Amino acid sequence: MSILIDASSRVIVQGITGGQARFDTEWSIKYGTHIVAGVTPGKAGAMVHGVPVFDTVRSAVAEHPAEVSILYVPAAGVKTATLEAIEAGMRLILVTTEYVPLHDVVYITAAAREANVCMVGCNTNGIISPGKSKVGGVGGMNPAEIYCSGRIGVCSRSGGMTAEIALSLKEGGYGISTSVAMGGDAVTGTSMAELLMLFEQDSETDAVVIFGEPGTSNEEKVAELVQARVLRKPVVALIAGAFQELYPLGMSFGHAAAIISDKSDSASAKRRHLATAGVHIALALEDIPQILQRIFGTNHDRSMFT
Amino acid sequence: MVLPLTEDLTKNWLREFSLPVPHGAPADCSDEAASIAARMPNGAVVKALVPTGRRGKAGAVRVTNGVEECRAAARDLLGKTVNGHPVHRIYVEERIAIREEYYLSLSLRGAYPEIMITRSGGVDIEDVMRVHPKRLVRAVISPLHGLTRKEATNLMRQAGFETAMYPSLGALAVSLYDAFRKADALLLEINPFVLTNTGAISLVGAMMGIDENALFRHSKWASTTGLAALPANPRERNVAITNRQLPGGECQYVELDGDIGLLVGGGGAGLYQHDVMLELGGKPANHCVTPPTGSDNRKLKAVLSAILENPRLKGLLIGFNFAQMARTDIRISTLMEVLSEQHVGIAQLPIVIRLFGAGEEKSRAMIAGHTNIHYVPRGTTLKQAVRLIIELTSGKSTVSPR
Repeated sequence: MSILIDASSRVIVQGITGGQARFDTEWSIKYGTHIVAGVTPGKAGAMVHGVPVFDTVRSAVAEHPAEVSILYVPAAGVKTATLEAIEAGMRLILVTTEYVPLHDVVYITAAAREANVCMVGCNTNGIISPGKSKVGGVGGMNPAEIYCSGRIGVCSRSGGMTAEIALSLKEGGYGISTSVAMGGDAVTGTSMAELLMLFEQDSETDAVVIFGEPGTSNEEKVAELVQARVLRKPVVALIAGAFQELYPLGMSFGHAAAIISDKSDSASAKRRHLATAGVHIALALEDIPQILQRIFGTNHDRSMFT
Repeated sequence: MVLPLTEDLTKNWLREFSLPVPHGAPADCSDEAASIAARMPNGAVVKALVPTGRRGKAGAVRVTNGVEECRAAARDLLGKTVNGHPVHRIYVEERIAIREEYYLSLSLRGAYPEIMITRSGGVDIEDVMRVHPKRLVRAVISPLHGLTRKEATNLMRQAGFETAMYPSLGALAVSLYDAFRKADALLLEINPFVLTNTGAISLVGAMMGIDENALFRHSKWASTTGLAALPANPRERNVAITNRQLPGGECQYVELDGDIGLLVGGGGAGLYQHDVMLELGGKPANHCVTPPTGSDNRKLKAVLSAILENPRLKGLLIGFNFAQMARTDIRISTLMEVLSEQHVGIAQLPIVIRLFGAGEEKSRAMIAGHTNIHYVPRGTTLKQAVRLIIELTSGKSTVSPR
């Protein structure tokens, strides 16, 4: 198993005729992802890498049933396109778009929650269940070089860092069940804690690695669930951005959300809370496989890949 | 990012929602201010028209009686600098006879808009929060359903207003939320809104900050992006100007007091490398955010130029996470372009490149023959790359690019 996507997932691509969407669609299909249809209003009848294009999500899924949608629509169209995907019955929606107006983000986040739909992003570079399926740009042209299949879940606020975590796991002989880039924005759909609950219930995930940053309460909520023993699988956390604490509050470095508004959401406060709750703290990528080895010993069946 | 609007724009926007805003108008010169004040028999308040709060404390709000006093206040304020902003215009507003001062704000930071109300208005809300937290009524608003009349009225009751005032104050809050949402505002602070001597409600203080990402819906405010103060550091200033002038992803450059330049992406890997550099004893000369590589490399070029123009620079780390989507060769060709434009001394600058992914062969070919540039082999970790640049720069004197 894995979480969110597996070998049987059927995916539609909203905004499929754009440049990034075409690129990701091509390499996702080559990886084995079932991309069954694309949507671009006004382009019905076109084909993108063999994928038929429709005007609306509803007309696409009427002919090609699907439960996952990934959006590559411009910021101005994200609200409408996401609501369209929710109404058409998608169960998982990934929004790749950056710089979406916050009022739109909170609206679609609330709408997805009300409809019990899992929304990932905005600003996600995708989800990969290695060897089974990938949705989004994650892994680029050669995902197998970075992401090996195995029993470790990855949940990251940075899309780029999922690759680095995957490489450090690979170096240590570990593989990944599913890797989720949840997006680095101040407000994202499905929270880190909710994603970790999915890993908790996944019989093929033994431990989870999280990558966190300053800002937002994502890591705090994970700490609470670990403390409460609701999350019982081992969690290893790499929290970056402690350097910001050397500079004045409110100074912005990097992701929109990575602004410390007060000391409670700084990187070192997060490390402290997570550690107190029982989460294993990695200060460098190289520490991650070593920590896993300490937890599981050397006999742990690290990977189904070997 | 929040884009603060000046008071005239904020109040014009509120007027469109039929909200009770005092009469007022902006002026460019003291004569114009005087002619506006001539229509205000109860006196005029003259305020520096700059997009910042706490103008009162900065001495940028003057209460005047009569046309000549107004003219003098205007003359005095114009040309001053208030909280870092030069005063080019002023706002002249009718003086309101105040019986009581209240506070209401709407903000959007997390997943839900938040409303705050207190009867203790006219002061710093931070003080109320600290000293009398119970006097502050706070609630979140459903993004799907908005602020309902019933909820708003209930909040006014909790805030301790008189029963007779609930209906009108509830309606006021509902209209304010409507104005807030339709402006794509991240903050709308009414401090104070007042009960006048005649028993009317008036929104005397109003400040609004809108979402820069939503500017495409508000073209009339697009020109105000120039209002935020530019940094004083010339290199930071150049990057900020480039950022405003060109479309596409955001770039940032923040200069720090170290000597190792960091060219990193916008996200987690950049934060991580900065931490690692400090941990290993290196001192970053800057932090930066570079937009994803596209065909247009002008923003990347602006950031690279800023890094290389920093006189304290002793070395440069170009460190990115394994590139899954972006092409590496666009970054390296931009580097070579900027290096060739900067003349003296740059050939001695140690540069470490940790950049793997699409276009890597081409990238490696481009740096061939440059002995100061170390393109680390595949498999090198971010930490190893950081360690290498620290080793290469330790003991080095500053390599002045100029």
